[in-house]
Amino acid sequence: MDCREFTCLSPVRKKIAPHLCIAGLLAALALGLPHALFAHDIPNDVTVQGFVKPHGQTLDLLMRVPLDAMRDTEFPERGPGYLDLARVDASLREAAAVWIANSVEIYEDDVRLPKPKIVEVRASLPSDKSFASFEEAFAHVTGPPLSNQVQIYWNQAMLDVLFEYPIRFDRSRFAIHPGLARLGLQVVTALRFLPPGGAVRAFEFVGDPGRVRLDPHWYEAALTFVKLGFFHILDGTDHLLFLFCLVIPFRRLRSLVPVVTAFTVAHSMTLIASAYNLAPDFLWFPPLIETLIAMSIVYMALENIVGGIGVQRRWLITFGFGLVHGFGFSFALRQTLQFAGSHLLTSLLSFNIGVELGQLLVLLLLIPALHLFFRFAVAERTGTIILSALVAHTGWHWMLDRGAQLRQFRFVWPALTAAMLATAVHWLIVMLVIAAVLWYLTTHQPLKFPPGRAASTKIPGITMASLRTVEHSLETEMGGEI
Amino acid sequence: MKRNLYLGLGFFALLGSLAILSTVLRKRAAVEAAGVMAPRFEVDPLWPKPLPNHWLLGMTIGVSVDAQDHIWIIHRGGSLERMENYAAANPPAAECCMAAPPVLEFDEDGNLLRHWGGPGQGYDWPASNHGITIDYKGNVWIGGNGRGAAVAPPTQAAALNESQPGGGPFNDNMVLKFTQDGKFLMQIGRPGQSKGSNDIENLKGPAKMFIDKDTNELYVADGYGNHRVIVYDAETGKYKRHWGAYGHKPDDTSLGPYNPDAPPAPQFRNPVHCAELANDGLLYVCDRVNDRIQVFHKDGTFVKEAIIAKRTLGDGSVWDIAFSKDPQQKYIFLADGSNEKVYIILRDTLEILTSFGDGGRQPGEFYAVHSIATDSKGNIFTTETYRGQRVQKFVYKGMAPLTKKDQGVLWPKKAS
Repeated sequence: MDCREFTCLSPVRKKIAPHLCIAGLLAALALGLPHALFAHDIPNDVTVQGFVKPHGQTLDLLMRVPLDAMRDTEFPERGPGYLDLARVDASLREAAAVWIANSVEIYEDDVRLPKPKIVEVRASLPSDKSFASFEEAFAHVTGPPLSNQVQIYWNQAMLDVLFEYPIRFDRSRFAIHPGLARLGLQVVTALRFLPPGGAVRAFEFVGDPGRVRLDPHWYEAALTFVKLGFFHILDGTDHLLFLFCLVIPFRRLRSLVPVVTAFTVAHSMTLIASAYNLAPDFLWFPPLIETLIAMSIVYMALENIVGGIGVQRRWLITFGFGLVHGFGFSFALRQTLQFAGSHLLTSLLSFNIGVELGQLLVLLLLIPALHLFFRFAVAERTGTIILSALVAHTGWHWMLDRGAQLRQFRFVWPALTAAMLATAVHWLIVMLVIAAVLWYLTTHQPLKFPPGRAASTKIPGITMASLRTVEHSLETEMGGEI
Repeated sequence: MKRNLYLGLGFFALLGSLAILSTVLRKRAAVEAAGVMAPRFEVDPLWPKPLPNHWLLGMTIGVSVDAQDHIWIIHRGGSLERMENYAAANPPAAECCMAAPPVLEFDEDGNLLRHWGGPGQGYDWPASNHGITIDYKGNVWIGGNGRGAAVAPPTQAAALNESQPGGGPFNDNMVLKFTQDGKFLMQIGRPGQSKGSNDIENLKGPAKMFIDKDTNELYVADGYGNHRVIVYDAETGKYKRHWGAYGHKPDDTSLGPYNPDAPPAPQFRNPVHCAELANDGLLYVCDRVNDRIQVFHKDGTFVKEAIIAKRTLGDGSVWDIAFSKDPQQKYIFLADGSNEKVYIILRDTLEILTSFGDGGRQPGEFYAVHSIATDSKGNIFTTETYRGQRVQKFVYKGMAPLTKKDQGVLWPKKAS
């Protein structure tokens, strides 16, 4: 089966083409191809390197792509399949036009630039290091080509190409849509943007990231991250289940406010700390957090079933679990913070806003649904137990699965260096401040007091009547459990 | 009210003390950072991903990283036990398992990409493959140390020891060159044809190869049967030069067993196990059983040597080396499959800074750590032969002040 036949199909079929190819090749393998050679016409893993440099009224785009990824272009060969370097120029230009220029879109102030001019093309050795910097890469691509004496097997060579785009002004706002995903089953694009002034901004995309603003305004970065946060919470089943557990006993927005606020504040803290490289960098840390997130779901579900004092202090435990979920959010953000430009904090806060908007949407859907469920389907207490048991079951399996992965790691005692101790002291300071805030809230926050004790504590601004009102509303919401 | 005041004062006093402590520690950290530093690693127990098709690795006898940071290993399917090959029996005796193809390529995340290898038309696949090198053009080079006739397909072969002791003369007298898709390109030497350490047509149990991109020359650590480094043109296979220990002409006079109290041996012992060229043109050769690295210029002129774990007998201590990926290649990582550790060595002085690893089968431990390679991010990959039979990844975690000469396994033994 020749995978090349799929390259001109409709977008949908293009998507399934790689899978069909794999299936075909696997079938061929099963039929006993000699030496089990697994020859992919569509490469599994393609790395593309690039530079974008606007200067004057020209934008240079320098790209390096493996020849292996350009499947429909016939490259002249000699001997057992070595690239015929004396005759390769036209094929390289064709490949550059078809596989790169047609796929990459560059925008200046949201206006798409016309097709670029191909200035130079070169075939390079895979070990060539000149793409370490723009200057070296530029010198390499515009320098002498490889000698025809060099014997390089055709699909182990790289295509280097210099494109020129006409632009109006080198300080315009540029964006790129590197639609290079069709080059392989997984395509990683490492791109560096060099605006006037000497700064270098690095990006790394997997697949097709859509249109990426290379130097975004703060509001563009903010919008991007609000969207990311919004869709992240909607995609994150574990976060949604945690939220679901929170809501089952609290179905009035007013009573949810302290709980959701505690969650938000906590996950914002750890998310921002992680973005500023304050989180541990041990390999076991992400699986630990994933396991703790699953545990948080199990705990919340069990608490719903058991009820009692834990539910009353839910905002407090939610704060603790919020810290854990914040680290979880940071793992999701790790690859996308590159899109923040110079607006890291704005982007982080925007991501949090997106998360909150997502949570709000979920709450707006969940609360009426739960009301209806408890009114018409099953009694509230029974329903709470059933729903929580189902969630606990799912969370329990996640916890076991993630725990099994965590157990693959062994805890490493870090060497007691001054740098490590200084980091520990930093975290101690943060924890101390958090503890102080929690202490303040627990001693000044009305919801924590069980009936009877609230009256003995005098809190300025809070009257007995208002406390009783809160208690009454909670009793109503929670089926008289308080 | 007074209580709250005291609490508040206590809180701010504690906070202030911690802030002062933090400042002091930062200053101390800066001083530490100015002292002796060494690369820090952490084993990744989830790398690579499980192999498909019930495939198992046998003795994993070579590792190399290409320019795209793909990790290539070679292993011996024939070294698996009978029960490990049940799925390959005719008819299959069980669902699991069978030998993976000899050559396997992984991406950085540990996903299996290409796989191929084994006997074919136009070349002599080694009876016992040994060592894999991806050259600067992406070509794949393979050696071998088998004795006796060419081996049957891996799944039917008898289990092979690391160098098949007692099995007759070394029959694998060749190196092979393939494309990354497994297409055969060239063979230097023929099976069973070696006439010894000064035969320039054939090799004898070649262990490892390196290709110099400046001269397109192939350096072969030759090997299990010969006592030399030999250099060929990597394109034509034309002989260039060869030499033995200290740059002398090699000879095959038996040196007897290694004696750590005797003067250094005038010849390489078998096997000559690696030949790695640094960016500055110095060639580092693993004289495994003599427990030493010898350093040469490209023309074979002897430069210096270093003894590593001198009292190591048996298989020796200097199995394979890899350089750190900084342009200066400041560090050498040396795999010692007898003492089961990786040494971190300063390349300019050949002084051992520290080591990590210990014997065992848990992640981060070794059993016969045989081959070592580094990627562009500074991560280390190791493979293990005998019953180790695996590949491991040690993630580079930056530089850290040197605190221990021997770090042991990269997690505490008391942890469970």
